[in-house]
Amino acid sequence: MPLLNVSPVDRLYETLPNLDDINIPARAPQPDGETEDTQAIAAAFGNRILAAGLQHDLPFVHVAPADLRDLVIWLRDGDLAYTTLIDITSVDLSELPDPDPDVRFQTVYLLRSLSRHKALFIVCPLPGGDDAEAPSLAGQFPGAIWPEREVMDLMGIRFADHPDPRRILMPAAWPNHPLRKDVPLGGEDVPFSLTWDHPEFDGLGDQILDPESLPPDLPPGMNRQNMILNMGPHHPSTHGVLRLVVELDGERVVNVDPDLGYLHSGFEKTGEHRRYKDFVYYTDRMDYLSAMNNNLGYVLAVEGMLDLEIPARAQAIRVIMSEMQRIASHLFWLSTHVLDISGNGMSLLMYATRERERILDLFEMVCGARLTTSYIRIGGVWQDLPEAFLGALSEFCDLFPGRIDEYRDLVKDSPIWRTRLEGIGMVGREDALAMGLTGPMLRGSGVDWDLRRDQPYSGYEQYEFDVPTSDRGDGFGRYEIRMEEMRQSVRIIRQALDRLPDGLYRSDDRKVNPPPRTELDVSMESLIHHFKLFTEGFKVPPGMYYHGIEASKGELGFFIYSDGSGKPYRLHVRGPSFNNLYAIGGMSRGLMLSDIITNIGSIDIVLGEVDR
Amino acid sequence: MGLESNLKEGSLVTARLEDLVNWARRNSTWPLLFGLACCAMEMIAAGTARHDIARYGSELFRATPRQADLIIVSGRVSNKMAPVIRRLHDQMLEPKWVIAMGICASAGGPFNNYAIVQGVDKIIPVDVYVPGCPPRPEALLYGMELLRQKQTGEHFSKYVFTPEQPGVPAEAEQAMTGLAPRIG
Repeated sequence: MPLLNVSPVDRLYETLPNLDDINIPARAPQPDGETEDTQAIAAAFGNRILAAGLQHDLPFVHVAPADLRDLVIWLRDGDLAYTTLIDITSVDLSELPDPDPDVRFQTVYLLRSLSRHKALFIVCPLPGGDDAEAPSLAGQFPGAIWPEREVMDLMGIRFADHPDPRRILMPAAWPNHPLRKDVPLGGEDVPFSLTWDHPEFDGLGDQILDPESLPPDLPPGMNRQNMILNMGPHHPSTHGVLRLVVELDGERVVNVDPDLGYLHSGFEKTGEHRRYKDFVYYTDRMDYLSAMNNNLGYVLAVEGMLDLEIPARAQAIRVIMSEMQRIASHLFWLSTHVLDISGNGMSLLMYATRERERILDLFEMVCGARLTTSYIRIGGVWQDLPEAFLGALSEFCDLFPGRIDEYRDLVKDSPIWRTRLEGIGMVGREDALAMGLTGPMLRGSGVDWDLRRDQPYSGYEQYEFDVPTSDRGDGFGRYEIRMEEMRQSVRIIRQALDRLPDGLYRSDDRKVNPPPRTELDVSMESLIHHFKLFTEGFKVPPGMYYHGIEASKGELGFFIYSDGSGKPYRLHVRGPSFNNLYAIGGMSRGLMLSDIITNIGSIDIVLGEVDR
Repeated sequence: MGLESNLKEGSLVTARLEDLVNWARRNSTWPLLFGLACCAMEMIAAGTARHDIARYGSELFRATPRQADLIIVSGRVSNKMAPVIRRLHDQMLEPKWVIAMGICASAGGPFNNYAIVQGVDKIIPVDVYVPGCPPRPEALLYGMELLRQKQTGEHFSKYVFTPEQPGVPAEAEQAMTGLAPRIG
């Protein structure tokens, strides 16, 4: 294996871009060009469409808030069949050049047509300055309720006719809307003094809210005649710091109201203060059971904006890592799910973590970390695979399918397992689509949709694999799907191993990736590139971009609004756990209290990603 | 094993009561079943077969703070979560210990922003800080070894109410114990 996997030293360099480019920062350009869909929309709506076209090869339609609902209903019910609302986000435009005092905010909607394999973005500039109001899509898509609450909470945009206008992530008494540009990042200055009486220490702890005890508000729609039970945020079965307010009639669940935000870490705001390459490390900590997938989702979004060519070997390595991570994540889901609901849980936890540890060992081999890998970087991967890795992985692939049978045999015929899963946590097909569920939650309701197959990225189109679905719509169906997905992941890894291409493991585009150390001694250009990359990072062309991948829990997407500088102007994460968790209310109503535990496990949430 | 084979029937062993109690406490420190973020995954890994925290008598993760001796703050502490952690710690019975696992719980880590408390020691006292992001299970086990060293040297007097502590007036303590208030 070559020590340095780089191209020759005498390569030609382009001239470096000007340090003080007067065109930066810039607004996202208006979309140009057209697609069949934007043509059809323009034909149907005429002047009511403000702009339509492509931006970074994604179709965007700009529409005034008054026409938003009409457009969305037409798209959903018409021939274009944009039946699923995937994401809602917003941008605070006030710090871009030429700010319009009347239009401070815009909301961005992502619709997907599963039957036609198309995505469409709707941008809705909101008049009203600081006190902007957007129409709520909750009546059209129940899946809009939580994302709209998030926008309301973090950006301070009101939604007219929203059924539940409460804060969702921040504490109810929080003084501001943190994602607004005039709100600082916050935090504390890092003290450099070594003596405690130095005034530097005076400000410490300032950002902690007063610990006063507030009587909790009853969530809307709940009736005090019934028993109100608090579950969490410290509860062994909520898989993290999730709090549920449960209304019970006897032991029957009448209503469930999740209270989120106990692990809200300000990822999106932090991302706006970090250079593009530096946010990769944060993505690890979002869905901490699925770090490689998070890395992949983020770097694909940035690479899409840069139009960066990724070497074939890097793509194959990414696929291998992503599938290994899917197995590890599903193993953890299986072990905790069984621990929650089945009698023989502890033994399966030990067995499943035995295999998970093997995968973590392999991760450690390639990048030195077990959980927070940061292995997939913009332009490729951090390092080439070590020699011992391929053999070890191949050994794991030989052994693992038999182990899946073992797990299956442990629970398959267990009466507890079956009784507690069959017919529990039902999600109908139409409901799943309307709520914007993704991943095994969607496939468990009989919708055959997998981004890896239907909108392939990172070379997934070269691999043969099946997408398991189930028409059962219950917890057992989702269990079967995840078990089968582990088998399919092994199949993909095998194919990728068999034809792992040679070549670069990282793009050699010096505008994005630093030159190797040896080149710095001989090339002035290399030295400049190195210096510039590490002092100011690379710049990304202005515009809006979104990329979604099929992570282990569903569609993980990153939305970036670039103003052309070295940091994202707005970074938004579409976490699958967040949108999937919305289903818990509908799944649990009418069941017993203990079935809520089953449903939390069955949705497979990670609170780091729900709360971000 | 060792001692009992050397003892004859009816033999006596003398020890300081403090040492005996500390020996018992350090070998069955039960942690609170409480996870926050990434570090919690490594805490769970420490509890599974490979790392096997049971070797040190700490495998019994208790779901209620009333039965736990140790709270491992495993992850970033958000502003919304801080009062909850404070209350959990208040609900634990003395003697109790705190491990800040990972850089977020120790000092905020990469999340120096509006949402995250810059170190859990702003709200509860920490005995051992375990560095790492996240620390490996071995690192947590080493942190618990350091905690055991600390437990070895503890004194009962630490848990005697002193008049300086709020909530127990000097007269009340005198009435309870029949002793004059302790100084210092």
